[in-house]
Amino acid sequence: MSPQANLSGDVVIEARNIVKRFGGAVAVNNVSLSVRQGEIHALVGENGAGKSTLMRVLAGIIAQDSGDVLVDGTPLETGAKNSIAAGIALVHQELSLVPEMTVAENILLGYAPTRLGFTKSKELDAIAAEALKEIGVSVDLNERISRLSVALRQFVEIARAVARKPKVLILDEPTATLTPAETDYLLTMLQRLAERGMSIIYISHRIPEVIRICHNVTILRDGQKVMESAIADTSPEGIVDQMVGRELKLDLQSRRSANPGEVVLKAEGIRAPGVQGVDLEVRAGEIVGLGGLVGAGRTELVRAIIGADNRTAGRVTKFKDGKAYSLAGYQSAIRNGVAYVPEERRTDGLALGMSVSDNITLTNREELSSFGVQLRGKIAQFAQDLSEKVGLRPPEIRREAGQYSGGNQQKIVIAKWLGRRPDFIVLDEPTRGVDVGAKAEIHKLVKGLADQGTAVLVVSSDLPELLELSDTIHVIRDGKIAGTLIGHEANEKTVMSLAAGEKMVDA
Amino acid sequence: MAKETLTEAIAVAETEAALSKPKTSPLEWVAENGIFVFTGLLILASVLFVDGFASLVNITDVFHRAAPIGIVAVGMTFVVISGNYLDLSVVAQVATSAVILIAVSNEYGLPLAMLAALLAAAVFGIVNGVAVGYFKANAVIVTLATTYIGLGLLRYFSGGSIFFGPQDGLIREFGLGKLGPVPYSAIVLLIMTIILGFVLNRTNFGFLVRSFGVNESATRLSGTNTAAVVIGAFLVTALAAMVAGWVLAAFSNTAVSAMSQGYDFRALAAIIVGGTSVFGGKGSVLRTLVGVIFVSVLTNVLVLSGISFGYQQMALGALIVTAVTVDALSRKVAKR
Repeated sequence: MSPQANLSGDVVIEARNIVKRFGGAVAVNNVSLSVRQGEIHALVGENGAGKSTLMRVLAGIIAQDSGDVLVDGTPLETGAKNSIAAGIALVHQELSLVPEMTVAENILLGYAPTRLGFTKSKELDAIAAEALKEIGVSVDLNERISRLSVALRQFVEIARAVARKPKVLILDEPTATLTPAETDYLLTMLQRLAERGMSIIYISHRIPEVIRICHNVTILRDGQKVMESAIADTSPEGIVDQMVGRELKLDLQSRRSANPGEVVLKAEGIRAPGVQGVDLEVRAGEIVGLGGLVGAGRTELVRAIIGADNRTAGRVTKFKDGKAYSLAGYQSAIRNGVAYVPEERRTDGLALGMSVSDNITLTNREELSSFGVQLRGKIAQFAQDLSEKVGLRPPEIRREAGQYSGGNQQKIVIAKWLGRRPDFIVLDEPTRGVDVGAKAEIHKLVKGLADQGTAVLVVSSDLPELLELSDTIHVIRDGKIAGTLIGHEANEKTVMSLAAGEKMVDA
Repeated sequence: MAKETLTEAIAVAETEAALSKPKTSPLEWVAENGIFVFTGLLILASVLFVDGFASLVNITDVFHRAAPIGIVAVGMTFVVISGNYLDLSVVAQVATSAVILIAVSNEYGLPLAMLAALLAAAVFGIVNGVAVGYFKANAVIVTLATTYIGLGLLRYFSGGSIFFGPQDGLIREFGLGKLGPVPYSAIVLLIMTIILGFVLNRTNFGFLVRSFGVNESATRLSGTNTAAVVIGAFLVTALAAMVAGWVLAAFSNTAVSAMSQGYDFRALAAIIVGGTSVFGGKGSVLRTLVGVIFVSVLTNVLVLSGISFGYQQMALGALIVTAVTVDALSRKVAKR
């Protein structure tokens, strides 16, 4: 273990030998961590390494089984209220804002200034405005959260934490839903907050971000600390090796040699809320990528194409065995060989409370039944084969889907569609929140599908992923195709300049 | 909306921890299996300590009272598991079926009466199902409204009068028939439980009802016609309520629009006490059957002990609050 980077500030928060078990499983095993004033400390590790659990202990949401948390040298009693009072603020991985309330109300949610039980709205607005100013984001205080883009919601979430003027700000994967420009903005903002003396614990899968802004890094694997080091003393490869515990070559530019066949899907003049007239084609064996900023209308576009949401105008034609079928509704699209891996895996992709087998066979009921009665043996075999095919670990089809990590859950979603042998598959953010190892496996699966002649449409905010997978990239801006990049025309720069348009993006 | 976002936020961090969760908490265990133990203990205690409980006459009486509510409850289990809370209109459905059976068979004979009752049940099931499944209206409010419509129509057509069946014939024979101490109505309940248990556990439709209850969005996006699933769940409930109406009419050999008062709450009590979750997705008709036995035996014991109706009502209410709280708490524990 190398010594930490030199920071003159005092230690603000310290975790000593934290142990947390869930049933028989040890989620956090004897982990210590200390962060000085003005330090940005990275906490990295694959999904399931124990990062979120450790942070929930610090935030007082769950109690550790043993070990101490000290703030300014004073032991902290467990309890979310105690942690907040001690100046610890946690920004959750998934947004926890109330969509039907305004920006200001959300920022002050839970501790709004009141008089005799009535909210003091002027004071509320003032505090909210100050918090937003602190992080340098401009948004209407009275706008409802449901009307904001995902990126803006993320910033409001951070403003909510900052409004409490915390000593320690913990961010759990804050950039998972952000585009590169937005990420850039966020990182600069965090550096500014740290310079003013705030201590930040930064959880991320994205190594370049960690390298860029953090002073020190702690790496967790299987609940244990495997490395703690000053960023200056390590390298991206070193961090990744420690995270996965095995040598893993990141091969970000390995494109397939595409050999597109006949047109499988043709969309013309698609309009829907957020989509302003898009034409596109996807050919057999081709991977078409949709790039662009979050909120540009990519998800809305693919959902309108396959009929998951209604479209206001446009025609979608699916070609199969030389015949053309017009796709009207979602169910008819699915019957016609369309598959859809949605953006929100936990709410739309899987029934988390059901078994792997139930989830995989949800899309294949007719094939696995006779006169409406389920064929149990056939179902078990079917689910077992598919879960092994996608590399589910462990491939235990009786387990609840919710017990698996993000990467494994995504494999289950893919498995449930593979069983239908689709000839057109839409994947929306296929590896969001997925660890490095599973990400590579999912990429391999997607490329394998295309190699077998499936037409693939991928939406991704992860630029290296988009570039690695796509044969053709349509960049979406304001609900329209801003430009199309074929093969080697596409690189981070060309995609981003099309996505951002002339005007630079301000978050 | 807010509930979903929060649940989501909480659910996320748990995945890491839940990856292996071999041990369940005592509370979860009680929520899962407690009812089987409690029912056994209740019956044992009743046999040992309550005078007159173990008599043949009393047991037949318990069966007679339990059967129609039980039949309603096993059917309504489908709606609860689909995550649509409950079907309050079973009150109107049972009465409609009973009145039609007696009134129409008096005029036109039994087969036509059964057909008319079937038609009425189909209308109830489809109206409730379409409003809730297709138009996404709230199930509690929709079925409260269809209760009023149904009872209103029934009073209009029946003029509020009581219908008496003939003193002999098939209906009467069935109503009084017994196999040992077990009345035919209880056998119908058992058969319904077996059939509906098979439908829920072994058929595609039953699978989709459960999966819809766990996650509506994921079920829809898997290409399922979710409106049809919900309509199906309400139809199953309506058919069961129809059978319950027949059983009730045959037993009492009379029919009146007010005869099924309280069936909504009693059926719900049986379902919840049995351990089917009001959050949807979790439960079974076998559990409901056990819940019916528990609630019926408890009520019977209270009656035998001379406890007044007011206290009986309070006991049933307290029982439901306890069961629902255990359900909610066990969910919370399971999430931790």
